[in-house]
Amino acid sequence: MITRTRRTRFALAAPLVLALAASMTACSSGGGDSEEVTDLTLIAANSPWTEGLKTLAAEYEDETDIKVNLEFYGNEQLNDTLKVKLNAQSSDFDMYGYQVQDVMREFSRNGWLADMTEYVESDAEWNWEDFQQSARDAVTLDDTVYGVPVMTERHVMYYRADLLEAAGIAVPTTLKELDAAAAKLNDPDNGFYGIAMRGAKVPLVTQFSSFLYSYGGDFQDKDGNATVDTPEAKEAYAAYGSLLKNYGPPGATNMGWPEASAIFAQGNAAFYLDADSQAYTFLDPASSAVVDTVAYGAFPAGPAGSHPYSIVPQTVGINEFSTKKDAAWDFIKWVTSEENSKVLLSEETVPSARDSAWADDAATAGFPAGLVEIVRNSEGTVGHDRPQLEKVALAREIVGGPAITAIEGGDVDAVAEKANTDFQTLLDGEQK
Amino acid sequence: MNATTETVAQRTAPPTTPSSPSHRVPASRRRRKRFLLPTLRTVAIVGVVLLFVLPLGWMLMAAFKTNLDIVSPARTFDFTPTLNNFNTVFGAQNFAPFILNSVIVGIGATVIALVLGVPAAYGIARYRIRNATAFVLLARVIPGVSLLIPWYFLFSQVQLVGTYTALILTHIFVTMPLVVAIMVGFFEGLPEELEEAAQIDGSSRVGAFLRVVLPLALPGVATSAILAFIFSWNNFLFALVLSNQDTRTLPVAISNFTSYASVDWGGLMAASVVITIPVMLVALFAQKYVVAGLTAGATKG
Amino acid sequence: MTTTSQTSYLAPKPRRGTGLTTWIDRHLKLVFTAPAIAFVAILIVFPIAYTVFLSFTDSASSVTRPFRFVGLDNYARWLTDFERFWPATGRTAYFTVTALVVELVLGLAIALLLRKTFRGQGLVRVFILLPLVATPVAVGMMWLLIFEPSIGFANVFMKSLGLGPQLWLSGTDTALNTLIFIDVWQWTPMVVLILLAGLSTLPEEPDEAARVDGANAWQRFVHITLPLLMPTIAAAAILRSIDAMKTFDIIYATKGRTGGSNNEAETLNMLAYNESFGNSQYGSAAALLMLFLLFIVIILTALTILRTKGNRA
Repeated sequence: MITRTRRTRFALAAPLVLALAASMTACSSGGGDSEEVTDLTLIAANSPWTEGLKTLAAEYEDETDIKVNLEFYGNEQLNDTLKVKLNAQSSDFDMYGYQVQDVMREFSRNGWLADMTEYVESDAEWNWEDFQQSARDAVTLDDTVYGVPVMTERHVMYYRADLLEAAGIAVPTTLKELDAAAAKLNDPDNGFYGIAMRGAKVPLVTQFSSFLYSYGGDFQDKDGNATVDTPEAKEAYAAYGSLLKNYGPPGATNMGWPEASAIFAQGNAAFYLDADSQAYTFLDPASSAVVDTVAYGAFPAGPAGSHPYSIVPQTVGINEFSTKKDAAWDFIKWVTSEENSKVLLSEETVPSARDSAWADDAATAGFPAGLVEIVRNSEGTVGHDRPQLEKVALAREIVGGPAITAIEGGDVDAVAEKANTDFQTLLDGEQK
Repeated sequence: MNATTETVAQRTAPPTTPSSPSHRVPASRRRRKRFLLPTLRTVAIVGVVLLFVLPLGWMLMAAFKTNLDIVSPARTFDFTPTLNNFNTVFGAQNFAPFILNSVIVGIGATVIALVLGVPAAYGIARYRIRNATAFVLLARVIPGVSLLIPWYFLFSQVQLVGTYTALILTHIFVTMPLVVAIMVGFFEGLPEELEEAAQIDGSSRVGAFLRVVLPLALPGVATSAILAFIFSWNNFLFALVLSNQDTRTLPVAISNFTSYASVDWGGLMAASVVITIPVMLVALFAQKYVVAGLTAGATKG
Repeated sequence: MTTTSQTSYLAPKPRRGTGLTTWIDRHLKLVFTAPAIAFVAILIVFPIAYTVFLSFTDSASSVTRPFRFVGLDNYARWLTDFERFWPATGRTAYFTVTALVVELVLGLAIALLLRKTFRGQGLVRVFILLPLVATPVAVGMMWLLIFEPSIGFANVFMKSLGLGPQLWLSGTDTALNTLIFIDVWQWTPMVVLILLAGLSTLPEEPDEAARVDGANAWQRFVHITLPLLMPTIAAAAILRSIDAMKTFDIIYATKGRTGGSNNEAETLNMLAYNESFGNSQYGSAAALLMLFLLFIVIILTALTILRTKGNRA
């Protein structure tokens, strides 16, 4: 009897299911604003910018009577939420923060990001030109602007000034000097390591990129073909891996930035190379034992010079399915104005993407002096820190592999060549 | 099962002293044995409890440490406690509403899961509908990943995203199979003679179920209730997508402590401690029914 | 199983009485079981149908982007993938079986230990529940910190025992086993709870009879308690094996989306999740999920067959 009812139920359900599936694949139209807007919703990942947003949103409500609902998540959770909701063409939220290098290609091709080119060029006073060139390039694809950069980030070298001084070592300016310095300070028997860096396969790719560029290589050439098996790339992999292998903490291949930075924060590493956005952890007495001894240096030069990445980690865009795009743009414009960017920089230490903010000494007062120097001297930096294609996540898994081999002491050349083949296959598949 | 019917028919009264062996043992040795076994038992019980609780003791200590102390092994026991993390949890992160949300969804989901699941388990057990258990378990078997997008789409079509209803419905989906699976095993283990006796005395089948079977099954019901509540409480994936800031539940709120460039370990641990307390209270409350069922079970016969 | 009494008292009886009760009695089977089954059916039909549909396409990036039907290509791709799919299957099987066996044995031992009434037993049960109750995400991060090779407590503990430091979660060979340990720690309490409930409804007469007849504790356990407890043990086993195969939270929190740099902790569920939310390959992920589902169903059927065989014995 159960089977019969199940069969009948299936017969009834099938057409319903097909109808639902059909409606899911149909396009829906976003549009301008049709009615009076009383509230907006923005979802983003926790970051210094979102901290500042909380105060700004309240101010905005006072000024305009528009309530801005803010929902913040961890990075991974935001990614999952976005994928689920946007696949279902949700209009639950109007604006969202995203990581431009990871998802802009994919999201724009999916039709999930609104075209903001007209918006950003509409207001000369707001001044789109004030944003750093590399930041503007980062959010533009095929001459279309998909978001406003709200944070910038560079690869820097954190080091223990006290230890270097005590051992009479000069601050390394080349990767070779870094290797020597780490070797000299390395003391694993006493739980102290020369260097801490990300060693987990996918997270390390972005930090490895600076090594790659400084050795004269890149993930792809200007035609977009895979180039991780060039001699330069192989040397870069070997350099990155050997630093961790010889002078790094145990279990490095399981470390993302939380674990690696914790080792440095605790005072157990002499050098830590990672994004400058983590400086605040080291300056917070509740989280760091190196508050007074941490210093910042520019990324050391490789054979091809010092070419660290300088990227836009957080961008805010408009949901293509939102019905309140104009109102959303007004809010974004207000929050990223010159004035508010300076406020965010000085009070929440949000590394702005605007040149004017960095040029303002009063605004940068809250930033560690050493870092401000590095930001202002961003010659030779590279605007991307990962492969540039739609399937970034998959590509990261592929190009991170040779680094793991290097850390574990295997045959880097062979693995790099295989990685290149796989990467090229992935790129070819994307041309369709 | 046959053993039960046999012995029920044969034996008239339970034995008097359960621990009186029929063979000769000197009194002194008997006394020592009587002392040794309970002590060993206590030691074993304490050991088991410690095994499960100690890591959480670490978490409890971590809730009172600064981030720096948490990642320093030298400061495992030697640290200055701070209430900062709890301040963050209730202040900056404002956890109180999330606790309320989790409680509302948890109770709603558990109650409905019981109302749907317990009778279903009874029907499955008594009428031997094997396939039904398998079908209901299918709900648990489906990986959450394949449910997310279709469900979000469904719920957004009927404007239920961000409501307690959507959360409760999806939580019932995962907790009810649990209730059914546990209770089916339970009901199968209950002899049918009792219901037969009640019906011979004139009760309806429903009445027999409510008045005779349910009280006996109380330990099972309380156990399934506790577990259902716990699973609902800890559910992350569905809440992530189907809740909004007003209905956000605790597991999703935990992600507030991971930021783009920093992880607030202390806050995370403090939040976990806070999250654990309401469930412990629920478990303590439901325990009474489990223990009550113990004594009830001992006197049936 | 008594079969004779079944037909007698379950057969519809002509009764006078309130219309509702009589009607319910006559349709007891349906009234009691239909709501639950309907509930599951309604919520499950669309997702399953949709997943099956997707599995025959090459849908990627967005489900609204144009896709083609590729027939069984996705399935073929996975079944011939010896780099990720089969190792993941092996790991899932290893993880599930090991965790399940340990949890059942340990759970049974602890349940027997806690069976007799004793002072403070309510409190003990609540304490034992704690690993279950603590949020899985937080528990994962807690163990991540504890097992960290250089700053974690675990190696400090090892040192105090005179043993060398281990890589625990960070080591390619040790990660999976460490995860099994965490799983056992977290889920044995659930097995204990279920078994305790089952034990509490066991009749005492057979046990007493056997004791008076001279059987020792072990014999009583094996020949009386264990057979009577079988339905409950089976329930616990089935529930735990389903959940163990789908273990996600602790692996995600400690090893990340890819199951570690060498995919050392990548199980089928993690692989499917990564394929869906990491690589946005919805068609391929759907095929993987169907294969995973098939895998689970096979295991469950095997378990159920074992259980019915055990019941008949």
